[in-house]
Amino acid sequence: MIDRRLVPHVDWGLLGVIVLLSGVGLVMIYSATYEPTTGAVGPQVARQFVTLALGMVALVVCLTIDYRVLADNAVLIYAGLAACLVYTLVWGAEAGGAQRWIDLGPVNFQPSEFAKLVIALVLAVYYTGVRLGTSRPGDWVVGGALVAIPFLLIARQPDLGTAFSLLPVCLAIMIFAGLKLRVLATLVLLGALLTPIVWTFGLEDYQKTRVASFLDPEQDPRGAGYQQIQARITVGSGGLTGKGFLRGTQSQYNFLPVAHNDFIFSVLAEEQGFVGVLVALGLYLFVIIRCLDAARLARDRVGMFLVVGITVGFTFQVIYNVTMSAGLAPVKGLTLPLMSYGGSSVIATLMGFGLILNVRMRRFTN
Amino acid sequence: MGGENSLEPDSRDFLLGLCQLAVVVAFFALALSFWHFQIGEHTRFLEMAANNHQRRLALRAPRGAVFDRDGRVLVENRYSLNVSLIRERVADVDVALTRLAAVTGVTPAAARAAVDSAGNVPAHRPVVVIRDASLDQVAAVAARRLELPGVVIEQLPTRHYPSGSLAAHSFGHVGEVTGRQLRELGDERLRGGSIVGQSGIEQEYNDLLMGDDGVRNVAVNSVGREVETIGEIPPDEGRQLQLTLDYDLQRAVEDAFESEGYAGAAVALDPRSGEVLAMVSLPAYDPNDFVLGIDAATWSSLNTNSLRPLQNRALQGRYPPGSVFKIVMAAAALEEGIVDPNFSVNCRGGATFYRRRYRCHANHGIVTMDEALEKSCNAYFYTLGAMLDVDVINRWAARFGLGVLSGIDLPHEAKGLVPSRAWKRARFDEPWYPGETISVAIGQGAVSVTPISLAVMMATVANGGTRVVPRLLKAVRDGGRWREVTAPPPAVFDTLAPETVETLRRGLWMVVNRQGTGGRARIEGRDVIGKSGTAQVVSLSRRASAGDETADYRDHGWFVFAAPREDPEIAGVVFAEHSDHEYLAAPIARHIVQTFFAKKEGLPLPVLPEQTAMVDDQ
Repeated sequence: MIDRRLVPHVDWGLLGVIVLLSGVGLVMIYSATYEPTTGAVGPQVARQFVTLALGMVALVVCLTIDYRVLADNAVLIYAGLAACLVYTLVWGAEAGGAQRWIDLGPVNFQPSEFAKLVIALVLAVYYTGVRLGTSRPGDWVVGGALVAIPFLLIARQPDLGTAFSLLPVCLAIMIFAGLKLRVLATLVLLGALLTPIVWTFGLEDYQKTRVASFLDPEQDPRGAGYQQIQARITVGSGGLTGKGFLRGTQSQYNFLPVAHNDFIFSVLAEEQGFVGVLVALGLYLFVIIRCLDAARLARDRVGMFLVVGITVGFTFQVIYNVTMSAGLAPVKGLTLPLMSYGGSSVIATLMGFGLILNVRMRRFTN
Repeated sequence: MGGENSLEPDSRDFLLGLCQLAVVVAFFALALSFWHFQIGEHTRFLEMAANNHQRRLALRAPRGAVFDRDGRVLVENRYSLNVSLIRERVADVDVALTRLAAVTGVTPAAARAAVDSAGNVPAHRPVVVIRDASLDQVAAVAARRLELPGVVIEQLPTRHYPSGSLAAHSFGHVGEVTGRQLRELGDERLRGGSIVGQSGIEQEYNDLLMGDDGVRNVAVNSVGREVETIGEIPPDEGRQLQLTLDYDLQRAVEDAFESEGYAGAAVALDPRSGEVLAMVSLPAYDPNDFVLGIDAATWSSLNTNSLRPLQNRALQGRYPPGSVFKIVMAAAALEEGIVDPNFSVNCRGGATFYRRRYRCHANHGIVTMDEALEKSCNAYFYTLGAMLDVDVINRWAARFGLGVLSGIDLPHEAKGLVPSRAWKRARFDEPWYPGETISVAIGQGAVSVTPISLAVMMATVANGGTRVVPRLLKAVRDGGRWREVTAPPPAVFDTLAPETVETLRRGLWMVVNRQGTGGRARIEGRDVIGKSGTAQVVSLSRRASAGDETADYRDHGWFVFAAPREDPEIAGVVFAEHSDHEYLAAPIARHIVQTFFAKKEGLPLPVLPEQTAMVDDQ
């Protein structure tokens, strides 16, 4: 199935750190779901383990199929995603006031988690076809439209966090495709002008509360600002070396909401301290730098765009989540890739790395 | 397609390098942020985390139990259950209180008032909504604990007086420490809300009885449930005390008062040691009413009651001793050598001194000292009064414990008064008139005494002259065993002339066993000695003019007693309020002495004669 000669070109260092970070995440999920009174551990640990295993299989699959084959079928894949998102909006399973999942019996499938990958792929393919230096405004409109469709479908669920996480992917590929600074400035300006309109008409009340509470968390310590304050207490009380595994009072006594999910990095910061934070940040930094190297090494533009898109999406989500876990950003349902508990998101993340490794591995092939 | 990527490698590499640089900068900023929180503000956040999950719970130390001289429990502790609300854990206090009220059957207004009165108790500390909840209420709360977040059941060791109002004034009561007590006691074990003795033994020996509160540090989770105990200093229970009181005797005295239908006071001492065997003041109150804070209605009724149940009459009531004072007069005259026991006076129903006629209640004819005591002849003692200076009388009264503090180990003892020249000068700025001494000689005029001081006087007569200091504390529990406390040294350690003692004992024996006023205290084979007295509430003339016989004007009856005549083992006083006739206090004394000896000899305790008398009447 896989060309034997390609095996030495797999970036084993990157893969190793990915596995390492997933392992750290698993251990942190163990701690976050540990019940200090009974000594029981949440079912999330076993589920995450299974998901990671499945994710690794998905990674290998994405690695095996030549990314150029995927690029040739980008339109089909994009249509598939759009269909899934529409299906989700109409018939999807609802939970917590949002309709984000497709019920597949034993498991739920969240199409929006795969949107980043598909957007990266479809934009990579589209801008590969645009001759460099000859870009016309129409190219940006088409690219924007390709993003806008899944963006709106996801925002309608509503899942603003995931929808917005598509934008860095899109912008990054556009910039690498030759988007002029002038155009970029226009886009940013447009976005700034749109903000009040989005605020007034586009945001649900709970979303407004989240943003307002971020700006002044102490105002309502029992309400929306609670999570922010608790996140800061969790991180700050960790100190230099942390309180020790399973010894974090904030996470063990449930002062930190959804610790195993959105706030997994806070758990790490509390129990392993600043030292643990530096190590984890270092590992993430290694992953990102290594991925950008893969973009440099890519043998064609589609590969480069693909790697840049996926990497920027990953980077954006890591930085946002880590910022949030220190109580420095509004709480969005954005998980920390590789460490947070999740289903579709874990698999999508690992598939993304499969594609990056794929591009790098095939840098010498024709 | 090959080679496309190589068209503008410079631009590509520049952008990728820029990206890498941006990521490094971003991560550096993140690391700085974490440094700021985790290192810079670590102390503050660590404290906030501790406040989040740690609670200090005071573990109230039980006060020491109190036992009688036979080891019977007089005062103990029970566990009271409080239903409390931790306001921090509920979104809406009013909703929570309404729900709690519905479950427990209290009115929402009462629940609200209980929480409002908590004032500035921090929101994370429980506020008592239902004090001393019934088991039904506790069960109802426990069954609905999921619907009642923030509601907790607190268990508190609480003082308990199993015999209710028995010996209430001796035990005293407990209450929350006042701000003044906090400052004045200066005890490091005390903090706001601590329970301290407010009267009686509870106050006198608060230092011993009070334990040292413990503390438990617990971890609570985000919904406030206690998850684990982090550390605990167990409470240190207060010391156990053994009193000199005899439960059976105490009960017998109170029963006797109830049977006779009087309020009043009584004290029974061991005349050899000063140990208080029984001490009664009636009407009494129930100290159990105070243990969790007394309610306003009970407090106000105790304070406005004209019979003043909170007053310990035995220590604080001051009344004229009347004829009982004649014992001091007799002793003074003999010891001063002014007369001998055979000195006699011819009573013709009264006598004239300083051109004024003083009345006697009968025409006794010629009486010697013992007969004068037996018949309580006023004329005889008027004569002694005319022969003795008031300051000498004052000195001898003090020798017997009258007009001075007994020194009993209870707070708030009042001092009686036996007049003297100095007192008259200080009080009225007037000289002493010899005629006044004649009234003093029969225990009237300005003379006033407390029941406890008369008990001391009688003990002094009984033991031959030693003025003992009455005491209630017999032993303190030390480790596993009782350590007897050393008795206080007697206030006066001396003996009277044997002839004086003999004359007094003979006269007082005749009071009870001949034709005297103490016949109702006679017990075959016990050789009870005693003396009655009347404490006039108003003068005879005023009583006549008042024209009615309401209880307020009826005289009080005294009876002092000791037994047996030679080397008495018990001595004491009975004060029967408004008994009208002095001899009516004697039956109570009889019951005391009878119970004392029955118990000592292991005989069945006497049944009150009142019950048989009532059957006879019907």
